[in-house]
This record gives sequence, structure tokens and C-alpha cells, in this order.
Amino acid sequence: MEPKSKLEKFIVTFLLVFGGISVSLPFIWMILSSFKTEREVLQIPPTLFPQNPTFQNYLELFQNLNFDVYLVNTLIIVFFSMVGLLLNTMAGYGFGKFEFRGKEIWFMVVLVTMMLPGQITMIPTYLIINEMGLTNTMTGIVLPGLIVAFMIFLIRQFMVTVPDDLIEAARLDGAGEIYIFFKLIIPLAKPILSVQVILTFIASWNSFLWPLIIANDQRLYTLSVGLSLLQDQYATNYGLQMAGSAFMVVPILIIFMIFQKYLVEGFNVSGIK
Amino acid sequence: MRNKIVLLMSLFVAVMLLVVGCAGGDDENTIKVWTMNNSMEEFAKKYEEENDVSVEVQVIPWGEVRDKFLTAIASGEGPDVVQVGTTGVPEYASAGMFKDLSEYVGEYENFNPDNFYEGAIGTTKYEGETIGIPFHVDTRVLFYRTDLLADVGYPEGPETWDDMVDASRKLAERGDDQYAIDLPQEDPQYPFMLAWQHGWNYNVDEGASNFEDPKFLEAMSKYKTFYEEGLSQLEEGKELVQAFSEGSKPMFFSGPWDIKTISEGAPEIEGKWDVRVMPGQETNRSMIGGSHFGVFHNSEKVEQSLDFINYLADADTQLEWYKEVNELPANLEAWEDPVLADDPMFSVFGEQLQSTEVLPMITEYTEISEELLKYLEEVYRGGADLESTLEEYRAKVSDILAD
Amino acid sequence: MTKWKYKLMPLFFIGPAVLLLMVFSFAPIFLSLGISFTDLTLIGLADWSKVNFVGFENFVKLFQDEVFLESIFNTFFYVIIGVPLAVSSSLVIALLLSMVGKWLSSTFRLIYYMPSVTNIVAIAVVWGFLYNQQYGLFNYILSLVNIQSVPWLEDPLVAKFSLIILAVWKSNGVSMLIFLAALQSIPRDYYEAADIDGANRWQKFFKITLPSMSFATFFVTVTTVIGWLQFFEEPFVMTDGGPLNGTNSMALYIYQRGFEYNDFGYAAAASFVLFIIVIIATIIQFRFRKKDQTL
Repeated sequence: MEPKSKLEKFIVTFLLVFGGISVSLPFIWMILSSFKTEREVLQIPPTLFPQNPTFQNYLELFQNLNFDVYLVNTLIIVFFSMVGLLLNTMAGYGFGKFEFRGKEIWFMVVLVTMMLPGQITMIPTYLIINEMGLTNTMTGIVLPGLIVAFMIFLIRQFMVTVPDDLIEAARLDGAGEIYIFFKLIIPLAKPILSVQVILTFIASWNSFLWPLIIANDQRLYTLSVGLSLLQDQYATNYGLQMAGSAFMVVPILIIFMIFQKYLVEGFNVSGIK
Repeated sequence: MRNKIVLLMSLFVAVMLLVVGCAGGDDENTIKVWTMNNSMEEFAKKYEEENDVSVEVQVIPWGEVRDKFLTAIASGEGPDVVQVGTTGVPEYASAGMFKDLSEYVGEYENFNPDNFYEGAIGTTKYEGETIGIPFHVDTRVLFYRTDLLADVGYPEGPETWDDMVDASRKLAERGDDQYAIDLPQEDPQYPFMLAWQHGWNYNVDEGASNFEDPKFLEAMSKYKTFYEEGLSQLEEGKELVQAFSEGSKPMFFSGPWDIKTISEGAPEIEGKWDVRVMPGQETNRSMIGGSHFGVFHNSEKVEQSLDFINYLADADTQLEWYKEVNELPANLEAWEDPVLADDPMFSVFGEQLQSTEVLPMITEYTEISEELLKYLEEVYRGGADLESTLEEYRAKVSDILAD
Repeated sequence: MTKWKYKLMPLFFIGPAVLLLMVFSFAPIFLSLGISFTDLTLIGLADWSKVNFVGFENFVKLFQDEVFLESIFNTFFYVIIGVPLAVSSSLVIALLLSMVGKWLSSTFRLIYYMPSVTNIVAIAVVWGFLYNQQYGLFNYILSLVNIQSVPWLEDPLVAKFSLIILAVWKSNGVSMLIFLAALQSIPRDYYEAADIDGANRWQKFFKITLPSMSFATFFVTVTTVIGWLQFFEEPFVMTDGGPLNGTNSMALYIYQRGFEYNDFGYAAAASFVLFIIVIIATIIQFRFRKKDQTL
């Protein structure tokens, strides 16, 4: 769907620019406010650009955040969530491309887990982890969020775009199932996998509640928890809070920029055939 | 490629094991402390230097204390020493979260109830038990603009609620977008404080009929007046420091932290504002807040825990704590230090702390007070009749208490 | 490949995920729903012997509870107005992004994704200012064209719309990414064939683009409906359910009862009702899909 005339191109670009500015204003405000004093952050009407730019918020952030331990924990969680992503993708492929008994029922089980907000099941989940003796361990922190029904469902839907004959052809050529999954399915699913990587990264990078609840030791805290502690210290310091958010969002933007290019890395199915 | 992945994975697993391995430290001589402030780590270190006990501090962000406490209550796995905010005392105590310290009060010199503000001791009592020892205290006073209040004839700020209403009307008459005071609509303590100041009191045995008292009605009709006559802004308006500095909201009630907020946030009005104790009608009682330190119900290290709490309850410790994080000491002796006694503003808080009332120490308090706010909103925003609304509120309260 | 091996393959692919999901997500849901038939409070949480089975008492009370009924009404209001807006706006953004050059497209993908990664406090402050009745930007713009100030968050009905706008703004990013990925999967030769047949742009859009993306549209719709039925964060941050309960949602009400008042049994009963509504809404969508398309 390419625009035909120059005028059309102009209109589309104009819409995107106009919409883009209005949509991203709060984000820009968040970044710029991290350079403002507490009072200026809350001023009405708000200022966009800091009147007296200050690095105080960042100084406080980096001087007081127990950075190294929290970063390692956060990275461990990110790593395991990527393992979870692999399991989610496998399950989505299983539901999308295999026929087996009870498929509908098992898929219903998956969907049902999306149907109640997380806070409601928090205490029962904690009690299960406690029964398994996993409190105060990294395993206990990682496990409850490892499998995400949303992701399984998403992959299952996208498996439609992978033609069955392609898989059959590979099987006839003698390829093993695991080989097919890694060498055929995953490359074909690149656009949707890149969405999954982005979403999974954001969720695990920001993980907050489970590390806090499962840990009985600060050595298992994550960056988000550390930031939250730091903000408590300064009562309601919005400037510091914005600096913290700006700092946390940088890796997210980097990951986004790396993976978004796979979003449009079109695979030409007819070409493979 | 595959080798790289294997290498990376084993590296991560190794790091993970390392981290998990570190997390032990559950030996005989270690006590675990849950607190809400980072600075506690330094204070614990000082204690460790003088005692043969290691103190493992876990700081919990304020917003997540509840989640953490609920899971601890449900699983029975908690720390040894735990800090609790006064408003949470009834609910957590009702679930048996704390060890009753009554029998130990005589054993440690710093546990003597006479050492602390009466109100602070009041919030450590639940159904005859002593659930903790006061650590820091908190209360509300009136912040006001001396210059603007002088203009309407109250240079020292309003002394009674009648003065308050009179001054407020004059201040609101200054023009559009000019208000007298900022009464928070979402904080349930304010209607209660207003009622205390009009001579009302909550008696736990009387339940819903407490709210039949005509003094309660009088107080609530004053509450209503402030919104109805535009003395306090009904809509979400300007941010407080800005409005205070401009003078569009020359009064508000708040706690000690706002001294710093105003002096740093609005240096241009230095010398033009002050704090004073609550306006009194029959009394001038304010609320009492703050926190205590207690012992988790199934801790096996009671003695070490109590000794650490004894250290925290000491006047010197609490004074140091005040200097470090600006939270007011519950210990009266700490207030004799010139840092507090000679400070013109903080001494006002000291004075107000002598006249406080304990919010009802019942588990249903949160619900009762939140409901009160909703019913009052029906009146000042929805235009409902005050008296009949309060009648409905009483029915609601008996319902809540009956459950 | 041998037959038994083929039968075991699905187990290999879905087994680990389903097992973990059963233990850490499915079981807790049923535990929570079980609580709805008890009078569990904080006291019972500490000592399970003090918990009583009360049958349907919580449910009976629930349907006499005006605040709860109002929250159901509000939730439906959010879903009926919000979901079509959210799905269509993210689809439009994805389509526009697919129409421009590579550089523009990748820049704006990032920009349109920003709301999803903006700190919730920043959102509350900025939108709080936009909606401020007295000093807010929206009312300022309206005053320029002589329109009276709108009580964005101060009127129970208007506030519902204000929160919907905010939520649509905030939720567009993820759906947009999914639509973009789906657009990539449409084989180019479909369009080439249509060009040869002389189809115009709208015909191509309705005959090729939309049908080829229906698997993604279906996913986005189902998950968006589930998400909006659990509408929580926006009223929680902006209005706390007010004014006069006008923006209270089911999920927020459950949170208030369970986490602010410790009335776990009652809150669990309310979540049971929410759960049933979500299931029905999801089943209806699956049924409809089976009728008019093959998947």
C-alpha cells in the first residue's frame, strides 16, 4: 500500500508527525523533567524545557543506588525470561501446527490464566511458591512470570502465516522436528518474535513485585525495587523519579531499536516454495 | 555460535548460583529487620559495632509494605523485628502479626511508656496488647502565610474554627481563583480531626451510634462549608507549593516534611509563613501517626530482637534519626535537645504532639473512614442533604461493624 | 518418522509451558475463586481454622451492593467505547507507518511506542495537567474558540470518557507492533495480482489487507477486550474511582475490597463475577470467528 501522489505522501507524513508529537509529549516531558528541580516538575502550567537545568537528580541517583547487585539480579531475570520466551514460542507452535487430543481444552487452560488481574492471585501464588520451598531464591522469583499466556496465544495466531506444506516438505526431506522448529519456524516468525522479545524484555527489565515479595534479602532485589527505595528516601521527589524512569528506559529504547528492524524484515513465503 | 550460547548460559547459571548462595546467613546470631527506610542500615551497623549480633536489614518500599506483610502473615514467614506504621497496627495486630510485648515493658529501660508521647503509646495498644515500641511520630499542624493572614486580621493564624471560617471567607473574597485553605478531599483523617476539635470522640464500644453525636454533625457541616463557599477548591487546582507561594491558597494542614518542601521550594516567601498548632474549638487535637518497632509473632530470637528495639527506642538514637532523615522522635527526652526545642517551627510540632488523638484502633477503620469520604462527597459535590446523608452513613457503618 | 514419535512431539512443544502455567497461574486462579465461598479476612489468612464456609452469601450481598453494580456498568461502558477505539486506532497507525519510507517508519514506530514505556507518574502528572479544569491545556485551547471549560475529571460521565482517551493513548503501542508484524506476513504477490486486475486502493484494503490480517485482528481484539474488562490503572492513578464512583471499575473495586479493606472473601466473589464475564466475552468471540473464517 504505497501512496500514489506527492500530496498523499505529504498528508500521511503530516498525520504521522502531528500524531507522533502529541502521543510522545508525556515521554519527552518525563525525560526533560529529570533535569528539573522538584518544584518545577509540578508547576502549573508545566514547563517543557527546564528553566534551570540541573544534574542533581542524576547525581543522587548514581550516588545512592546500590547499582551493581541490582543490575546483576535484573539481568538474571531478563535472561530467564528469554528462556521463558523460547518455551512460550514452542507452546504457541505446538498449539498452532499440531493436532492432538485435548488440544482445545489445553488451549482453554492457557487462555483462562489471562482472565484475572495479577493482584488477585498474588497471595495464592506466593503460598504455592512457599510450599515448594522456593521463597528467597532466584528460582522462586523467576518461575511465576516465566510463561505468559498472552505470548503463547500470539504465536499460535501467527503460525497461520506459516504454510503447512512447508513443514511437510521439510519432514519429507527427513528433517527432525527440533530442526524444523529452530531452522524453519523461528526464522519465518522473525517479525512476531521481535515483538515478543521487546515485550518480554520490558516486562523482565522492570520486574518489581515478585522480586520484592519472594526475597527475604536485599541481595535479591532488582533495579526497579532499588529505585523505588531511593524515591521513598526523598519523600515525593518527582524530579528524581523522572530521572530514575529515564535511566530505566534507555536499555528499553536500545532493545527496541535493535529488534524493531526485524519487525519489517519481510519473509517472502512464496519465494521459499 | 552454539558454543557461545552454551558459554553464556553456564556463565549466567554460575552467577545465579553465586547470588543464591550468598543469600544465606541464617545463623544463631543474626536478626532480620524489616524497615521502610534505607538509613536503617547505617543505624544497624552502629548497633552491630557495640553488640555481638549481626543485624540483617531488609528495606521495603512504602507502597509495597502491605503486599509484603500479607504474604508474611499468610505463610508465617517473616523477619524478627518489623517496623509498622501506626495506621496499619489494628489490622496487622488482629491477624496476630506481632508478639505481645506487655511482659517485657518493665525489663528494658527504654520501653517505659512514660518516655514517649501519650498518643504514640496509644497507637501501640491493640486489645490490651502492646504490639511495639514507638519509634518516630508524625502529626499535622497549620501552615499559613503570616502576611496574608495579617491582612485579614489574624497575624498569628486563626485560633478557633470560628476564626478559621471568618478568616477564610475574607481570604476567599479576594477575587476569582483565590481560596483560603487546601483541605485534601482524599485524606480521611481530616474529617476526623475536625470532629475531635469540635469535642467529638470515637468510642469503640458505641460503634455506629458514635456518629449520632450533634458535635459530629456540627463538624461535618463546617467541612461542607469549606467546599460549598469555595473556601477550599473543589477541583484539582494548582500544585500546593506554587499556590501557597502565590498566595491563592494561604493555608494548609500538613506534616513536618513540608517545612523543608516550602523553605526549599519557595524561598521567595521566606519570613512570610509560619506554622501553628491546630485551631481549637473545644480541643485542638491533631492526629498522631508515625511508626513502631515490634517483634514478629514466631521469631525465635526474641531477646536479641528486643535488645535491638531497645537501642532504637533510645532518645539518642531517635535524635540521630531525626537529624539524618527528618522524622520526629517519639521519645520525649529527644525533644529537650536544642536542635528540636529551639527550632521555631519544629517546636510547634512538639507542642502539637502533646495534644493528639488516636484514630480509632479497630480493623474496620480504613473502610469506615473511606466510606465517610464518599458520603461527604455526595454532600458537597452531589448536593445531597447533610443530615440524611449522615443517617445513611450510620447505617453503612453498622453494616461494616456487624460483619 | 515413527508414529509414536509424532504423537509425543506436541507434548514436547507444549508440555513445559503448560505444566508451569498450571502450577503458577492456573492453580492460583482456582484457589482465589474458591475463597469466594468463604469469609476470609486478614485474621483467617493468619489462621485458616478461623475461616468459615459461607456458601453464596458473598454473591448475594454483591448483587445488592450498589457500588459494585455501578462498577460493572462503568466497566461495560469502558469496554464498549474503548475497545473499538483502541483496536481501530492502532490499526490505523500501523497502516500509516507501512505507507512511508523506511527511515520515517522506523523513527515513528519508536515514537508511537513511547506511551507504553512512559513512567506512570509522568503520565499522571502530564495528563492531570491536560485535564485540569482550571489551568489545563485542553480547556485553554477550548477557551480560544469560546467553548466553556469542560470538567474533564470532575464530572462522573465526562471523567469516563477522559479515562478512555487516556487508556487508548497508552495502549496503542503493543497492538501497533502486532499489526505491523501481521502486515509483513501478507504475500506481496496478492497485491501484484490485484494490480493486474485493476483493483483500487480501498478494494485492496478490504479484499486483501483486512482478511489476510484477520488472525492478528482477532488476537488484538480478544486480548484488548480482556484487558479493558480488567480496566484498573487509569482510574487507580487519575481518579481513584471518583468522582462519586463515576470511574470505578470492577478490577479497581476488587482491589479496594481485597487490598484496602482486607475483605478477601468478598473481593474473591467479585473477581469470580469478573472472571465469568471475561470467559463469556472470550467464548463469544471464538464462536463468531469459527463461523466466518477459517483458521
